[in-house]
Amino acid sequence: MIKRSFFGLVKPKLHYERIDEAQAEPVSVKASKNIMLSIEHPFESAKNSLLKIGDPVKNGQKIALTEKADDYLLASKSGRISNISPFVGILGKKYTVVTIDIDADSAQTVDDHFKSSSQTPSLEKARDLLSGLPGKPDFTVFFNTDKPVKTIVVMGADNDLLSITRQYFVKNNIISMKTGIDFLRKITGIHNVILIVPQHLAQVAGSSGATVKTVDSEYPSAHPHLIRQHVLSTEASSPDAGVAFFSAEAVSALGAAFNTGKLPLEKLITFISKDGTRRLVSIPIGTPLQDILNEFNENLEEGDQLIVGGPLTGISVYTTDSPVMPDSDTLIVQSKEQVPERSDAPCVNCGDCVRVCPASIQVNLLVRYLEAQQYQEAADQYDLFSCIECGFCSYVCESRIPVFQHIRLAKYTLESMKEAEENNV
Amino acid sequence: MFSTLKLTVSHAPFWHIGSSTSSKSRNILLASLLAVVPGCYQYGQAAVGVVTIAIASAIIWELLINFISRRPISVGDGNAALVGMIFAMMLPATTPWWAVVTGTFFAVVIGKGIFGGIGANPFNPAVLAMTIVMLSWSHLFDFNAALLNYQFDFNAVYPLVLSKAFGAPAVESFAVMDLLKGKQIGGIGSTFGIGLILGGVYLMLRGYIRWEISVSFLAGIFAAALGFNFLNPELYAGPGFHLFTGYTLIGAFFLATEDSSSPVNFIPMLIYGLLGGALTILIRNIGTHIDGVLYAILIINLVNPIVDKIRPKAIGKGV
Repeated sequence: MIKRSFFGLVKPKLHYERIDEAQAEPVSVKASKNIMLSIEHPFESAKNSLLKIGDPVKNGQKIALTEKADDYLLASKSGRISNISPFVGILGKKYTVVTIDIDADSAQTVDDHFKSSSQTPSLEKARDLLSGLPGKPDFTVFFNTDKPVKTIVVMGADNDLLSITRQYFVKNNIISMKTGIDFLRKITGIHNVILIVPQHLAQVAGSSGATVKTVDSEYPSAHPHLIRQHVLSTEASSPDAGVAFFSAEAVSALGAAFNTGKLPLEKLITFISKDGTRRLVSIPIGTPLQDILNEFNENLEEGDQLIVGGPLTGISVYTTDSPVMPDSDTLIVQSKEQVPERSDAPCVNCGDCVRVCPASIQVNLLVRYLEAQQYQEAADQYDLFSCIECGFCSYVCESRIPVFQHIRLAKYTLESMKEAEENNV
Repeated sequence: MFSTLKLTVSHAPFWHIGSSTSSKSRNILLASLLAVVPGCYQYGQAAVGVVTIAIASAIIWELLINFISRRPISVGDGNAALVGMIFAMMLPATTPWWAVVTGTFFAVVIGKGIFGGIGANPFNPAVLAMTIVMLSWSHLFDFNAALLNYQFDFNAVYPLVLSKAFGAPAVESFAVMDLLKGKQIGGIGSTFGIGLILGGVYLMLRGYIRWEISVSFLAGIFAAALGFNFLNPELYAGPGFHLFTGYTLIGAFFLATEDSSSPVNFIPMLIYGLLGGALTILIRNIGTHIDGVLYAILIINLVNPIVDKIRPKAIGKGV
């Protein structure tokens, strides 16, 4: 954990991780007995689902609950469905978890749906088949007619601290990224593709065929909102302009899929163990996190914390059986002692949060409204919805107020109120 | 199906910079000792008594208000002790115990507690309390009378009284170096300039107080005093005198910088400090009061919410 420096005259800085020159190759971890696919789709509405317990599943097969659903995952191993259950994630997000008991390595069967359809690629096919790739490429933005997409941004810079997942793809897989970028250009007809990389990767990124722009190493400069604001040209920086963001991993996976005719369904994860060692792990999507911990003999004790995602914006999970998702870039194990204390002490108005806020929000005033649950007021007068959710305010808070959580809760409450109102009309 | 291991589940971020309210209070208390210890050396046991009673009674008042308002006990954050300490720093060493205890009551209960505790006070609690007791028992806080029985090897007249009554020539005998070394009478912790400056610089470097406020407060004093001195050097003492007498230094480093009653944005901090400094000199030179620091700080505390409206636009909100 990075601590406050002795001198506090200047505002605190956090830096993104930088991939080593001689980064070791990722360790390949296998799923031991089952994989779990958490599909963002409520369980109740999946009553007449396409899936039934006992169904055989092929490697690469699309696992969707209904015919038309946008939310689906791809089975990263073949096997048999052993369980379908509901799961409620952070802020009430409803998931359906499909557990698949996997076949032995020798008995893996591959779904050839992709191979046959990859001959004539199109945007619709990509949406219906490729969103489950590692890195979770989102093609739905191209179907939004209110905001026609004019720019595609490929993120070769990681979105949170400690992670080197995306940098790895820029450094080692630039050829398949080029294929992926060419494929995106072909199916979308958009030629303005920008690759965002940290400065030290600018040279290697040049061979991707995209316009290369760099961001500095200071958190949160690689945040999509700030990239819109500072890196993109003026017409793309307005919130109404259509910009599609893809991670380097997603683009590389697209490239690899078209190069080999086989869907790559191994997710690359930066794994930070309790003692701070960093390793890259390649693992099938849906594998329980326990399998990674077993591989590295990481023993968790009561009170330890398991974090999926970076240290500033990640989500802590309550069980080691949680699966690897297509967009989980980082896995961090924190021992009980490293978990920071939070408190319900009031804001003392020290202003540290105001000075670090990349969105120039008056967090000291905002948090007073949020604590009193006056969310509408907070949104109208104190820029609640300008927040880009970088987590910096909670990181520096002297009173140790969970500011970031207050903000997320407020946004969630207001959005669900709005939704309820719209549904009633 | 799930394992029974109980993991900690909390929300992002999972790192913290490590700062806390109590460590801030501790550091400010430590820095204040640089001025308080020489003060106690100068004024002897009486000063030690005033400081300890002030801190102890402030903590007790805080505990009482916690019980009465049924809030969690908050003496652990060190803020009550700090308020007591800063209040004591402004007192003459001969202050009777009941005045100290009453003063900390005004500071902790009236200045802070009834507004909702730490972070909710609109005025600096210690300044508010000092102003109330000064107005209530002015004879106790007339430094010339209060410290009459002490024998000093320097001019034992409160410098600001001299400059007020007799103009600039009367204070020419005060050399700046002597003032800095504490060769002047005044509050227990407000005369030893070197200690206050060292403490203040330490706090600014460590980020416990905002340097913008201290620096602009001193700049405001300097500029305003220079202006007056330029207009009529016979009547108004120069900036050097004003910077190192009365409550100026304690005001710049310990009073104006109180978190909850000061602004957080850059330009507002500068305005706040400059205004405080200028008001101090205005009150000292043409007002009826002897020292203007306390009133100036109360006034800038009052305008703090308004000046803090000068702020950058949040992203996505206009250009």
